[in-house]
Amino acid sequence: MATIITMPAVVADATEAALQDWLVKIGDTIAAGQPIAEIETEKATVELQAESPGTIGRLLIQPGTSVGVGEPIAVLVEAGEDEASIDKQIASAGGASHSHAEHPVPEDTEAPTTRRDTRPAAPGASQEPSRNAQGRASRIFGSPLARKLAKDMGIDLSALAGSGPNGRILRGDVEAAGRQQAAGPQPVPKAEGPLPAAPTASSQTAGMQNFQDVPLSGMRKAIARRLTESKTTVPHFYVSIDVEMDALLALRKQINQDSIPAGQKATVNDLVLKALGGALVDVPAANASWQGDAVRRYSTVDISVAIATTDGLLTPVVRGLENLSLSSLGRIMGDYKERASAGRIRQQELDGGSFSLTNLGMYGTREFSAILNPPQAGILAVGAAEQRPAVRDGQLAVATVMSCTLSADHRVIDGAVAAQLLGAFKRRIESPLSILL
Amino acid sequence: MSTTTPLTYSTECTELRTTREDWDAASPELLESMLVQMHTIRIFEEVVLQLAAEGLVHGPAHSSIGQEGAAVGSVLALRGADGVNGTHRGHHQFLAKGLAYLSPNGMSIIDGIKNDQVTEFIRRTMSEILGLKAGFSGGRGGSMHLQWLEAGALGTNAIVGGGVPLAAGNAWAQRHDAEVHDDGGQAGGMGVTVTYFGDGASNIGSTLETLNLAAAWRLPLCFYIENNLYAVSTHVADVTGEARLAARGPGFGIRSWRVDGMDPLAVYLAQKAAVDHMRAGKGATLIEAETYRYFHQNGPFPGSAFGYRTKEEEKQWRDRDPLAKLAAEMTRRGLLTDEQLTDLTLQITEHITRIVDGITEKDPESAKGGRRIRPTLWPDPAAVDTDIRSEPALTGSTTEGQTEAGTEERRFVDAIADVLGRRMDLDPGVLVLGEDVHRLKGGTNGATRGLKDAYPDRVLGTPISENAFAGLAGGLSMTGRYKPVVEFMYSDFLWVAADQIFNQIGKARHMFGGQSAMPVVLRSKVAMGAGYGSQHSMDPAGIFANNPGWRIVAPSTPHDYIGLMNTALELQDPVLVLEHVDLYGTKGDIPAGNLDYQLPVGKAAVRRAGEGVTVLSYLNMVDVSLQAAGRRLDLDAEIIDLRWLDRASLDWDTIGASIQKTNNVLIVEQGARGTSYGGWLSDEIQRRFFDYLDQPVQRVTGKEAAPSISKVLEAAANADLDDVLAGFDEVARNLGRS
Repeated sequence: MATIITMPAVVADATEAALQDWLVKIGDTIAAGQPIAEIETEKATVELQAESPGTIGRLLIQPGTSVGVGEPIAVLVEAGEDEASIDKQIASAGGASHSHAEHPVPEDTEAPTTRRDTRPAAPGASQEPSRNAQGRASRIFGSPLARKLAKDMGIDLSALAGSGPNGRILRGDVEAAGRQQAAGPQPVPKAEGPLPAAPTASSQTAGMQNFQDVPLSGMRKAIARRLTESKTTVPHFYVSIDVEMDALLALRKQINQDSIPAGQKATVNDLVLKALGGALVDVPAANASWQGDAVRRYSTVDISVAIATTDGLLTPVVRGLENLSLSSLGRIMGDYKERASAGRIRQQELDGGSFSLTNLGMYGTREFSAILNPPQAGILAVGAAEQRPAVRDGQLAVATVMSCTLSADHRVIDGAVAAQLLGAFKRRIESPLSILL
Repeated sequence: MSTTTPLTYSTECTELRTTREDWDAASPELLESMLVQMHTIRIFEEVVLQLAAEGLVHGPAHSSIGQEGAAVGSVLALRGADGVNGTHRGHHQFLAKGLAYLSPNGMSIIDGIKNDQVTEFIRRTMSEILGLKAGFSGGRGGSMHLQWLEAGALGTNAIVGGGVPLAAGNAWAQRHDAEVHDDGGQAGGMGVTVTYFGDGASNIGSTLETLNLAAAWRLPLCFYIENNLYAVSTHVADVTGEARLAARGPGFGIRSWRVDGMDPLAVYLAQKAAVDHMRAGKGATLIEAETYRYFHQNGPFPGSAFGYRTKEEEKQWRDRDPLAKLAAEMTRRGLLTDEQLTDLTLQITEHITRIVDGITEKDPESAKGGRRIRPTLWPDPAAVDTDIRSEPALTGSTTEGQTEAGTEERRFVDAIADVLGRRMDLDPGVLVLGEDVHRLKGGTNGATRGLKDAYPDRVLGTPISENAFAGLAGGLSMTGRYKPVVEFMYSDFLWVAADQIFNQIGKARHMFGGQSAMPVVLRSKVAMGAGYGSQHSMDPAGIFANNPGWRIVAPSTPHDYIGLMNTALELQDPVLVLEHVDLYGTKGDIPAGNLDYQLPVGKAAVRRAGEGVTVLSYLNMVDVSLQAAGRRLDLDAEIIDLRWLDRASLDWDTIGASIQKTNNVLIVEQGARGTSYGGWLSDEIQRRFFDYLDQPVQRVTGKEAAPSISKVLEAAANADLDDVLAGFDEVARNLGRS
């Protein structure tokens, strides 16, 4: 019997994903586990692996097409099966084939059993149904006009909250999103109920063609949605501290001369990361996340490290940081950076994490504050290590100083805990041998 | 003990039979014409049956073989300008009328049908039957809808009895023409119309209503029953208590004859007597011709093959064949030899065969050497919808009526009488008819006040026979000389007259290939809210909008009524003019001293400009919608008074501009949902403006059932201000507001 392969829910709350390229062609015989396609999600490009062996009977989706999660993308056949059995199977699977046809799915039904979950098995990843944040099925309700406007304006309907019946997205919702877009980089908040009146600042440019609309990449959409949600729903507060870096820089120099294997250098960021990991061990109350009905405290330190790429920001997780040697950490980070720039970070490498570190020091940024990455409760933003006047024992001196700002979720971390964490961090940076212990 | 006195009819019913003296007295020219016509018809019909057997006639071929004498004897007693119409079995009557029209001096045995005009006539008739563009109706009508108005062939009809009221319209025009032009005494009297139908159509309402109407109004209309004994397979004796159908006439006060339809001279003499009666202004006549179709209802097999009659019966009738009878009498008188007859039939056969050869060709895909229609002769499929209605060509002022003289206030119902009177004054072709329109100071509502006194011969109080008088209006309009304004006292009566309204008036122009205009104006009263109950309270707009041919206007002010009625009366199409009882008593400004302005076709009026939601309404609900808009200023409704409701005349420009602005639509009407107008409209809107809609097209209608008489139930059934406000609420809810 022919088997339908459907678009997997690679990311927990994604409603669709783009099929970037087929790695097989019709008639190919494939083995279980063989990669058959590359799928670009909002954050990563993943390989879709076949769950069972068979022959590719039909490819239903053109490369580059976005497909709703759960929709058929290919058909596997067994020996002797013809086109008719493929048609029959597609029909029984809901009929969607060449186009991005959308079938309303009742909210409380699970995906039909004919749609097999072909997600690559991720260790420890929970099996989540393909729902978006509102818990509604993948069909997005939008009025015809709203859909047309959104298409014309390059606005992703899935990033909007509809104010009409059943959450239907209306003209006003799209227009508000358009004004927000024009007014600044902030995407539309995913708020319930009617949207607040949009600012009028965009009227300066209204009607003038002095701009270019850049279509949103999957990653850009994800950043927009997640950070908007974070910034508008999580009670951020900020605590800053200056740390002196001279001792750490001296240690790094020594390590790079003596200890680290040849060809590998310890970076300042690696050391800062280790220092942060140590601080979180010192102040376990800060190594926690918000779970809605509980605060989750972690027994290991897994830190999401922001890596800038040309398309946007990726935050792969360095796990078990407290037990990683500096050289292991160096290898992991090197691998992450290389694959991030190639768009080859795997989805499971992005999942989880108990805390985040972001560093703009290499750009000379003095200090900045970051937006939390929910459900994490903390993110440390570090600026450039630079020589500044320092007062020691009443004497003016020169020190290499780095300004750090912690953004914390007040639901999880109170001010005192945040201050303790920064204090622990400062101690470890300024007494850097503690990092290596 | 009570006494009984026999009641006798006020008119006669007689049977006419020829004698040898009659045959000897008949002019040779008449008999020759009969012979040529009857043989032409029979050979033509045999060729049609042959083509049908080859599968080249799409649809039925109702053969008239056996009935030629009944048609030819009748038509030869008429003038070229006299009218005839008929039914699905009408080839013989149509051919006879056309041949007689083209040969005013008769046809001869020597020449037969050797005549270019006659050849062209037969070619066009055959083309029409085969559905080809060279046909009289461009192939649209086919075998059952043959019309050639120039020859007085008013159009045959596939609805049994459906053509009878239309013929009455032609007859009314002929009588009125004679009275107006005072030629009743000269040139042999007024024109007459003969409506041919069969025994089957003798029992249907259209015919019976028209018998009464034609008698009451003394119309020069001959009801000509070709009684061939069978309605398909049902014998006339099975379905009537008086199988002598001529006996129907006297009950209506109609002079009637029964005649042997297999004797063409008897038919001629009976028709002559009837024509004399009618031309003398004595009113309608009826002739029953006993005749027989040799074949089944349609196709080339005898009726006995289907078991409803015997071969012996068929043989008895064939033994009295009208062609043989005529030939025998002519031979007896020395007017015809066997050789001449053989030559004549050969000549006609060759002639018609040549015509068919010009229409057909060898079918390259037929293995058996079969024929097919020459492909170039088919009509253009792209023209499938042309001729449904006319292209408006208005001559009057189409301003909104703003004159230097300013305005004056006028009651709605008085504006109706004003504009009708003005049009009757200026156009002698305009007449008004309907129940009680001539009494009660202008009908039941006063809308025709004063017209009867001013124009006594053009304001016609009708019997309660909506089908007959609506059809009569259709026949009048087809003459091109008259523009009838029909009143339906209540709109629900459209169902009573549905055949004439939709099958005849609505379809005629298109079905006959645009040969005739159909300027019928139907004033139809919408009486919702008046307590008249389930059968007097409908809004017919939805029903008319979903049937082809009718234009619909729905005036909401006296000003619009005048302008729209003036336009309606200049259009060459059937126009439904809706009148709502709630509006009759309302007042509005009209241009002072101007009853001649016209409102353009297909122009709606924006009664309130807005940005939030487009409200589409008409008649009394325009004002209700305005009230609702005043209470929901937050929704900033744009209220459009549609004014023109039909598919061709709807103002899509105005509607479209509004929807593209507001992106939300609410259709407001008062009546029941099932027959409502808005269903059609919302369907069109969602397809035309899908990408502009921010919510489903919302609708306000009444409930499902027809309104009851009980005051509270009627109010619950009809949409009112509360329902319109609820519609506004729904619009708001769909905008995420409350």
